[in-house]
Amino acid sequence: MSLQKSSTIKLPHFKSFLLLLFISTSAVKVQAETILPGLSVLSETDIRESAIAFVNMSTSPGLEGATLTVDNKERHSEQIRGSFGFSAEVTLKDHIFNGYWGLAVVGGSLDDELKLISDSGEQVNLDVSRNVLGLRGSLGLSFPVDQHFKLRPYLSLAVTDLKTETVIDGLTYTDPSGNTTTTPSFRTSAQLASAIGSLDALYSRWYGDNKLELTAQYNLIYTDAFSEDNPVLSTYDLNHTVQLRSRYTGPTALVSAGRPWRWQAYANYVNFISHDKASLGYQSLVDFGGGLEWEMNIKPLDWFGWQMLGIRAGLIYGDNVEGYKFGLTAR
Amino acid sequence: MNERIIFYICCCIFLSACVQAPVFKEEGYALIRSNYPIVSLNGAEIEPAYDMDLEAGENTLVIVYNSYQYDYFCTFTWAAVSGAAYEVTDHEKSYPLTLYRWVRKNSLWAIRLDPLDPLQCTQKPR
Repeated sequence: MSLQKSSTIKLPHFKSFLLLLFISTSAVKVQAETILPGLSVLSETDIRESAIAFVNMSTSPGLEGATLTVDNKERHSEQIRGSFGFSAEVTLKDHIFNGYWGLAVVGGSLDDELKLISDSGEQVNLDVSRNVLGLRGSLGLSFPVDQHFKLRPYLSLAVTDLKTETVIDGLTYTDPSGNTTTTPSFRTSAQLASAIGSLDALYSRWYGDNKLELTAQYNLIYTDAFSEDNPVLSTYDLNHTVQLRSRYTGPTALVSAGRPWRWQAYANYVNFISHDKASLGYQSLVDFGGGLEWEMNIKPLDWFGWQMLGIRAGLIYGDNVEGYKFGLTAR
Repeated sequence: MNERIIFYICCCIFLSACVQAPVFKEEGYALIRSNYPIVSLNGAEIEPAYDMDLEAGENTLVIVYNSYQYDYFCTFTWAAVSGAAYEVTDHEKSYPLTLYRWVRKNSLWAIRLDPLDPLQCTQKPR
């Protein structure tokens, strides 16, 4: 049985109407349709991709709480994601396979600052703030191949609320009522429903008192978005991600309430395969760290086992991104 | 307002009924629950069962953990205490199954204490 990790969720404020982020180096991407007059570098496609990428990179199964920073000449962004939830296997008597379920509150925030070049050749600063909060439920089966290896296919449904505020500094903009400004700002919101098909391959083996755990996870994510105030965000998209996780744990001399503490070291890799790197500034992440876990071993509602409660910290690296994680873990 | 109070009361009643105190057969008996079938008791094969009453004292159980490649016949031997409840589950320890003493802490949760590994697990291809 396992419990997914918990973490902090930052809840800034949000306004906006469009958004998007996109710029690959300083080159102008060929656009399909321009959203803002004078800023053809920003297309509807960019806005859609960046919004869905942010939601997927915040709410997909298997992701853990993290704070990420992208910092380069054209872009500075801070992203926080987190979740608080539980997942567990349920024994189905007289069957070899077990049931699997999970429920989580997921969320994240993003402050993204981009430097773009307007059609007139002037530099424009695009400041986008996003905030997402959602609920994810999972249901599936777990097939033990042998004592050490199991396969776990499951389906997750997630509903999320996305709010965005965008401020464009340096772009002369005339709104529909005829007012002209050089710092137009927009607020927008969208509701997203995601269906996520996941396949986990889990391997574990003990070496004396130490335990090695390896997990490979593939997610296929279909996202449908609805927005009343931004038609651009009424769209859908299909994406997929891969995660590889490893953990090594061992005993310590610490005991609390008669139950032992264990140390742990971990290293993970995640690749948001189908997302454009420009959407959030990165596509893959590696993180590693360590911590302590207390073997509390309780059984809430006499229904599912909650084995471990712990604390851990780690560092995150990726293409143009770095960050850290620190928080409680439970499984 | 009244509906809300009734809702809270119903929730409390539901939750308070979640963790029931174990019911023992009689004095001198313990209770065991298993997520996997118990196929042997003190050397005698029995119809697969998931819970049973045990006489206090030393008992030997064989419980089967099934996987698609192998069946693992795990043998537990321990001194059962009168009035105690035990539970066997898969916790991905060094053996496929682990035996715990199950203690009702309150109406919301129970605790699993004193983990015990099986003496051995015999692996048989399916």
